[in-house]
Amino acid sequence: MSVAKILEIALRTGRVTRRYPYEPPLLTPEFRGAVKIDPSKCWGCGACVKVCPPNALTLKPAGKEATLEYFVGRCVFCGMCAEVCPAKAIEVTKEFELSATSLEDLKSRVIHRLARCSICGAPIWTEAELRTVVKSSPIAEEYYLVCPKCRKERFAKAAMLRLGAGSE
Amino acid sequence: MKSDSSLSTIVKALEEVGAFVEEVRDSEVYFRVTRENVRAAARALYSLGAYLKTCAGVDERELSGLFAVYYIFGLDDHGVDAVLRVLVPQDDPWTVSVVPDVPAADWCELEVRDLLGIDFRGRLTKRLVLPEDWPEGVYPLRKEFKYDEKPPRVLREELSEEVGIPVGPYHPALHEPEYFELYVEGERVVDVAYRGFHVHRGIEKLAESQRFTYKQVPFLAERICGICGFVHSSCYVMAVEKAAGIVVPERAEFIRSIVLEVERLHSHLLWLGVAAHLLGYDAGFMHAWRIREQVMVLAEYLTGSRKTYGINLIGGVRKDINTEKIDKVLKTITDLRKEFTELVKAMLAVPQIKSRASGTGVLTKAEARALSVVGPVARASGLYRDVRKDYPYLAYKRVSFKVPLYTEGDNLARLLVRVDEVFESIEIIKQLIDMLPGGSVVVEEYDIPSGRRAVAAIEAPRGEDVHFIITGVGRPYRWRVRAPTYQNIPALRAMLRGTPLADAPLTIASIDPCFSCTDRVTVLDVRSGRKSFIRLKQGV
Ligand code: SF4
Ligand code: SF4
Repeated sequence: MSVAKILEIALRTGRVTRRYPYEPPLLTPEFRGAVKIDPSKCWGCGACVKVCPPNALTLKPAGKEATLEYFVGRCVFCGMCAEVCPAKAIEVTKEFELSATSLEDLKSRVIHRLARCSICGAPIWTEAELRTVVKSSPIAEEYYLVCPKCRKERFAKAAMLRLGAGSE
Repeated sequence: MKSDSSLSTIVKALEEVGAFVEEVRDSEVYFRVTRENVRAAARALYSLGAYLKTCAGVDERELSGLFAVYYIFGLDDHGVDAVLRVLVPQDDPWTVSVVPDVPAADWCELEVRDLLGIDFRGRLTKRLVLPEDWPEGVYPLRKEFKYDEKPPRVLREELSEEVGIPVGPYHPALHEPEYFELYVEGERVVDVAYRGFHVHRGIEKLAESQRFTYKQVPFLAERICGICGFVHSSCYVMAVEKAAGIVVPERAEFIRSIVLEVERLHSHLLWLGVAAHLLGYDAGFMHAWRIREQVMVLAEYLTGSRKTYGINLIGGVRKDINTEKIDKVLKTITDLRKEFTELVKAMLAVPQIKSRASGTGVLTKAEARALSVVGPVARASGLYRDVRKDYPYLAYKRVSFKVPLYTEGDNLARLLVRVDEVFESIEIIKQLIDMLPGGSVVVEEYDIPSGRRAVAAIEAPRGEDVHFIITGVGRPYRWRVRAPTYQNIPALRAMLRGTPLADAPLTIASIDPCFSCTDRVTVLDVRSGRKSFIRLKQGV
């Protein structure tokens, strides 16, 4: 009697599993998969790195360059990076078949050249970011080419002069 | 809910044993009590009907030069938390245990001892959460200990003497690692020893390290549990919002509540399937999971992910609900209701299901009370406890629903509680959708002052989940999490003792121990001393 009941349900329902991978998987339009960074749009500002909960994104300066690296092995597919990116450079894809045979294949990189401080030569911003900022406020170029440390020193010197300390 | 007259009785009773009110916030009253008086204070609270929610050790040396132990009690009848704060000097770190009067404090005290190095007098102590090869005198929750520090391993002699190859409880490919030792006499279980915490991940420590910020912790919290992760992220954000006084938009509260109920649906359906499987009724298992699948798809459609939804932010949620989503929700729960009714009928008509579940694994009301058990386990033993009713949060104050209550305390009662709750959840979702208010779903501007405290609780599918927070600068100063299973596992001893071995798998499963945990047990025959490993799945 009880067997008959479940049998009836089973016969009515039929097969529900999909023949994945031969059939497409069931994904809703809201599904969040791995992210993709568009190198032509990214400024290297690092906002995404700051917000990423598992540190799947890193931004590391080395010599004249800074590398933004995305390691999909750590990504939790939250999409927070795409939400904060000021350049809209990050896209949340539907990609979830991510297995790879080498660790390197799980990483993607955007390499940025670094602009240097016009006074001390220390690396400051990425050139791409500098271009973007200057485009939105042209007067700022000279200002942005000075690193915060030198800027502070320059300000202190100017203030001293104004207070008359420079006359000594 | 609050009735001030009886609250003053509580304050008076505590003042009589030397405690005084330190702070009153929303629905929390903080008492300060000396370590000599804490046991009397805990006893007073317990006899006034309070449940122990958890205790937490905090390294407050940067703030006050002292350690502190917080005992968090819930007064269900008043919807108020009474928190006892005991200060412990760092050069003489001990306090009096409350365990003789409040057995539910057993584990959390041992945890404080392990992680903070505070000794508890008047009880048996042993290592609980730290691994056996962890050195003595290194306390990970002390602030000077770095979150990524790796102290040298200490090999203990007892370790090397062990023979036998337990290819089981710790194997990463199996379900979650937990380990029960059942002592049997013939076919009867005479005692149970539990060893867990093999996967203690130090999440609380991680959240207070430089590595994390307030905004990132919800994603970490969500990963505490693979089944009820949304409960944890919601509980964390609620605790922070409460501490900082952030008012969340109503619409966000409704969305959180809807998703919480969707999570309960998938969790209960999962449990029902596994229970059927353990009883050898695999057809029932598969149909339960088939029905559950539409809930998973709904969850993905609402949040972006089948599990670890990732939509909680401090101040609200990231995903709004539109009319298409509302239609999908309504269609899913209507179908679910129909299919679930049919399945439950078919399942309960199988005579073996009823006969194996009824009368087995009994937990009496008195035992349930003494151990402060939570969720369906409590409700199946006649305790009327449900955070959604007792401490209404989010949108639950706006909906009407029943709390299923059974008095038998057996495996069948726990099964029926969950079955009833599926129907209640469906009704709750319907009402919430019906009343969904407009407006925004998140507040962006807020500020979280440091040094604030708050307790938040949510009724997870397995029972009450508690998060306690002390705010810090940029990140929590201390974040304490107590998942429901933590409170329920100790009750297994009472359920299993004196019962036939064959009922053990179902009984262990009946508390829904974050289900994964139950793959293997060691059976030790006390008469012959013979040890053997068995697979729970083989149906013993
Ligand atoms: S521009 Fe966008 S992708 Fe590039 S570093 Fe900034 S936030 Fe990241
Ligand atoms: S999706 Fe989330 S986890 Fe992945 S890179 Fe972006 S922020 Fe990090």
